[in-house]
Amino acid sequence: MTSASAPKSRKKINWAPYLLILPSLLYLALFFGWPMVQGLILAIREEGAVLGLRSEADRNSTIAGSLPRGMQVSILNRQGNPIPQGETLQGGQLTEIWYKVRGQDIEGQLIEGWTPERRIRVRESDENGVPVAGTVRSILSATADPLTRIYFQADESSEVIGQMEARTAVEILDQATLELWFLISGDSGNQTVEGWVPSRYLNIFEDETQGRIEEGDTSQFTTRYLERMVNDRFFWPALRTTLLLIVLIVPAQFVLAIIMALVIQADLKGSGIFLYVFAIALGVSDLAVGILWYSIFTQSGYLNSILQGLGLINSPNIYLSADTRYWILIAIWLAELWRATAIVMVIVVAGMQAISREVLEAAEVFGATLWQRVRYIILPLLRPSLQVALILRTILAFQVFAVVIVMSGGDIMTVLANETYRQYYDQRNNNLAAAYASFILLLSLITAFFYLRAVRTQEEVAE
Amino acid sequence: MTTALDVQTKMAEASPEVKAIHRRMLRRQRLGRALVYLVGILISLWVLIPIWFIASMALTTPAEVRAYPKGILPFIPLSTETMRFFLNSRGILPGLRNSITVALITLVLSILIAAPAGYALSRFLFRGRDAFRLAILAVRAFPIVVLSIPLAVVFLRVGIYDNVYSLALMHTALALPTTILVLSSVFSSIPYELEEAAMVFGCSPAQAFRYVVLPLVMPGIAASAIFTFVLSWNEVFAATILTIQNRTLPAQVLVTLNQSSEPYQFAGGFFMMIPALIFIFFIRRYLFNMWGQISK
Repeated sequence: MTSASAPKSRKKINWAPYLLILPSLLYLALFFGWPMVQGLILAIREEGAVLGLRSEADRNSTIAGSLPRGMQVSILNRQGNPIPQGETLQGGQLTEIWYKVRGQDIEGQLIEGWTPERRIRVRESDENGVPVAGTVRSILSATADPLTRIYFQADESSEVIGQMEARTAVEILDQATLELWFLISGDSGNQTVEGWVPSRYLNIFEDETQGRIEEGDTSQFTTRYLERMVNDRFFWPALRTTLLLIVLIVPAQFVLAIIMALVIQADLKGSGIFLYVFAIALGVSDLAVGILWYSIFTQSGYLNSILQGLGLINSPNIYLSADTRYWILIAIWLAELWRATAIVMVIVVAGMQAISREVLEAAEVFGATLWQRVRYIILPLLRPSLQVALILRTILAFQVFAVVIVMSGGDIMTVLANETYRQYYDQRNNNLAAAYASFILLLSLITAFFYLRAVRTQEEVAE
Repeated sequence: MTTALDVQTKMAEASPEVKAIHRRMLRRQRLGRALVYLVGILISLWVLIPIWFIASMALTTPAEVRAYPKGILPFIPLSTETMRFFLNSRGILPGLRNSITVALITLVLSILIAAPAGYALSRFLFRGRDAFRLAILAVRAFPIVVLSIPLAVVFLRVGIYDNVYSLALMHTALALPTTILVLSSVFSSIPYELEEAAMVFGCSPAQAFRYVVLPLVMPGIAASAIFTFVLSWNEVFAATILTIQNRTLPAQVLVTLNQSSEPYQFAGGFFMMIPALIFIFFIRRYLFNMWGQISK
């Protein structure tokens, strides 16, 4: 075993540390790296954007052309295809059940063959509900063929091996599920494309002559979601509010955090209590903090109660409404200042603990005032910690979410994280939500770049 | 102390001018101390008064909550009625159970995965150590929460969507970087010589870890575990995205916020703060271990 204090003595590779970090590496790869890639893919790739049309009603046949999702098409023909073994039914799939029957045909011969379920009335089923016997249905329509055709295979295009009269008793030997395929045509560019597609990609309208392509079978890279995000009417307000909040919150937080840290570092009696009180907010969620400040700013809240108690107002003011956005901003600002200053405070205190007491005492001996000590000794020596705290806070501020929802219902004032949530939860648009998430990631990536540089300079400083 | 005594004995024989200067210095020092106390108390009030407000709302009758102007405890009746109303609202008790389940799984998973990595970071110098540290720091800096969108899609596909266990997986990813860094600093605070000594006396490395290191790091690990618990308990974005039926408490409160009454909201807000009020007290000494590490 090689210790950090007695290193580099052996040439042989020690595998122990690699084994020890392996679980966390795997975990982060699985739940951080992979979803990140997936998120980016969701944002720029449209699943099933295009539907390939087959030249025959067979998934292995050549592609005759392709049509985009959402296009309205006319339906020219239909055909049932057996669903391959082991494949389960999918959403949107139109199916047709065929029975293999045995019975007498019109010539009195016993034949065995396939016919659609709609031509057979089931009379008897076994204990599992599987039909075992039935009769041929009578056809009442004047134009339809009164006889029922029996096919060699479960396919209307296969050989007809006989015909049965209505009410013939038959044994049901087997059944098959067919997926309907449709021959469709639609305009792609300036030419008409015609081809076969399985029913699950289509939405068939009532009369079976028209339909719409619900989904394609091939994906395509697209900037559609990004464009839609940028053109979304909430995008720019969300971005503006997010950035505005960062600009408003972060500096105030730093001033407050440094003051808090100075109080704790003054090492007075009872500074443990100060530390506890200052750090409480570290463990409070943004949702709880939002509600807490909501109880102050709501119309019947504490702010109005106090103002009224002091006789400053006669009737309660309304703060959190569309007409008083600046009050919402102030409420969010106070809530975030209340909640997230604690993190900065802790980082700053940790940084201050690294500053040697001798330096500060020397400054005091030479008559430096508190302000001078802060300005010329503490702040410069704290710079690396402050940088790190700054960037960490900025990144966390991109995620401001619940406070905004509580204060504004998520409508009057919105932020990027809220839009991500709205797209996912209300609009059910995963791709647009992923576009928003990726945008937040991108902003954070830019910030993290500076973060890592700050860490590096810090390590240089430490050496 | 001795220096103070020295000063005092010296002061006794000092000239009146020196005494005057000394008095001024003492006064200035006392004034400075009073000022620091004042600032400390003001900031404490800034933190505590809002908590007092919400506690007043949560621990009184619903009628008092709806009243205007609002009163504060102890001037309004103390009652558990509002809190009971909140806890008996639909989805709150199951939400509470889910929250605790998720937080406990997250805590156990993240400690189990992070402890070896933290140990490796603190005890070994290996090729790629700095890269690993940087990677952890980078992950820590990411808004992991937004990863819940792609994770939701993947979970949906795999069939583990809307499930407390999959949410715990997400929360573990959220907590892991911090936990690794904190545990690495906790291990670093135990001198390696102790382990070495144990091995000299015939312990295997595993035994040395089990009987010497582990008892010493237990408090630090416990603090980190508590913090992980609070982190998961508080997390609302991923919880709302990844669950529908099996909501955690914050997710349930957030989703029903717009249709709910003020007694419900305020009681919910206060209830969610309780773990913070209790746990931060126990781990306050470890906070610098935890967050200071990020900037180191």
